[in-house]
Amino acid sequence: MASVSFESVSKRFDAVEAVRELTLAAADGEFLVLVGPSGSGKTTALRMLAGLESVSEGEIRIGERVVNRVAPRARDIAMVFQDYALYPQMTVYDNLAFALRRRKTPKERIDEQVRRAAAALELDELLERKPGQLSGGQQQRVALGRALVRDPQVFLMDEPLSNLDAKLRVQTRGEIKRLQKEIGTTTVYVTHDQVEAMTMGDRIAVMNHGRLEQVGTPAELYDEPANVFVAGFVGSPGMSFVPAAALGLDLGVPGETIVGVRPEHARTWAEGDSLLGPLDGQAQYVEALGRETFIGVRHDDETRLVLCVEGRSAVQPGDSVTYGLVREGLRFFDPDSGHARRRVRSRPC
Amino acid sequence: MIDRREQALTYLLLGVFSLIALVPIAGILLTALQAPGEVASFGAFNGVHLENFATAWDEGNFSQYLRSSVIVGVSVVVLSTLLSILAGYAFGMMRFRGDQALFYLFLLGLMVPLESTVVPLYYDLRDLGLTDTYAALIFPQVGVSVAFGTFWMRAFFRSVPRSLVEAARLDGSSSWSTLWRVVLPVGRPAVLTMMVLVFMWTWNEFLLALVMVSDESLRTAPLGLAFFSGRNTTDFALLAAGSVIVATPVVVLYVFLQRHFIRGMLSGAVKG
Repeated sequence: MASVSFESVSKRFDAVEAVRELTLAAADGEFLVLVGPSGSGKTTALRMLAGLESVSEGEIRIGERVVNRVAPRARDIAMVFQDYALYPQMTVYDNLAFALRRRKTPKERIDEQVRRAAAALELDELLERKPGQLSGGQQQRVALGRALVRDPQVFLMDEPLSNLDAKLRVQTRGEIKRLQKEIGTTTVYVTHDQVEAMTMGDRIAVMNHGRLEQVGTPAELYDEPANVFVAGFVGSPGMSFVPAAALGLDLGVPGETIVGVRPEHARTWAEGDSLLGPLDGQAQYVEALGRETFIGVRHDDETRLVLCVEGRSAVQPGDSVTYGLVREGLRFFDPDSGHARRRVRSRPC
Repeated sequence: MIDRREQALTYLLLGVFSLIALVPIAGILLTALQAPGEVASFGAFNGVHLENFATAWDEGNFSQYLRSSVIVGVSVVVLSTLLSILAGYAFGMMRFRGDQALFYLFLLGLMVPLESTVVPLYYDLRDLGLTDTYAALIFPQVGVSVAFGTFWMRAFFRSVPRSLVEAARLDGSSSWSTLWRVVLPVGRPAVLTMMVLVFMWTWNEFLLALVMVSDESLRTAPLGLAFFSGRNTTDFALLAAGSVIVATPVVVLYVFLQRHFIRGMLSGAVKG
């Protein structure tokens, strides 16, 4: 196992700068998630770490070793690909054994390691099948097994759950997290799904347009977003943004300041709840998720907010809604730079 | 859903085209089975005379010609397959300086007809002392086949998911073992299709054999058939039997490999 670090790493494809001055580190044994929208540079960063893309500038280290010019096979890393990249002509056993055979591992040792990985991932019964005869979930486990069997210094995972259905995705992300904790191998995981990032990562690095926007624990990103992008990207639904002047409340900030409100900090008005308000709006949509209900409210022509109501709500689209804001939950952002101005702790919905 | 009229039209069109393709073949077969020297008209039938094949085989010296064709065909297929796989892999999977320009240079081999180069080629090979040898038939055809084969294999390698190759690299595979152990097994239909095509073209090549060899023992089957038909201008049954003998190996090869051949022709046409 080893730490991983990017030091001022940039990657250019002709005129396009896919990754800009990325400085980021994953500690030994850490589960670091790179998250961001399409084109944010997260996969390029991972591919540079794998050695599948060259580095235009900066240094990448695995442990103490600079690996910029080290071939992928000499980096001692294992990668799980989005499409799994299983060898279609080989059985599951041969897929798992392939890397060990290439490293001239003794036959008995290969057999032992393959069977151990297969047992850990419940692939014992599938060892003689070929990838084409497996379901998506089984293929995914074989891809994980292929990484696992190598016992590498670092695991790299490039959106490995994106081809699974929603239920299997939830189940598998728990499994990956459990396995990673058991083995303790440093893992860099790329996803565009912020829920996946929040539930799996020890720390999360949010990327956008090739830049690192913020890195921190899931709680830090959620509670203390560094800027409007992170605040809007992290959380489901994301944070709503309203100019302070539009709220007409005494918030102690200049009117042009952008106020960020998470759904759980905007609630239907009830006297004595010590909310800021009352504010009036009109319900545009209602999303009843069972345990909670999200109500999209139009505050005025320019601004929209999302309210969170515990359990069910009688509000229907088109209804007038009176609501208030939880003062401690509000975040303030500079209207020009988008950077956070003041940070206050929040509390759950 | 296709309605009945559309279905009938489809069958009619397929039927017409099948007839266009099959009538000459059926005609040759029927003619080959007629009594020697008694052919009323092309494709007419007056009994089964299998002895035509034995007569043609002996008189036409086809055992010798087929042996030459097999030697040339197999050599060309083996050499050009090996070279095409390697060149196609380089052009399809690797990035290197000048790869585009070099690839188009290869394509020139596809564009320039052999007829336009056969005379200078004859003088070159004569200077090298290679005329009237199998090498004079094998090397030029390897050159032509590699141009097509490289184009064909490059297209196949480009259709292979990149992640498969990258996974192999990360698993510790060199470029060489990635090619032979990971990528090529996936491309068996593409390789077999290329081999069948190259074998067919080589087998049917006439001009090169006509120009490069004068020794009868080196004549290939199509050239031998031309000499044979020159000697038997009126005996259609023997001529047809000779044609069937010459065409049979390619047909047999195609029948054996047609499943792979069709898969190879269609690979990349639909998402797997």
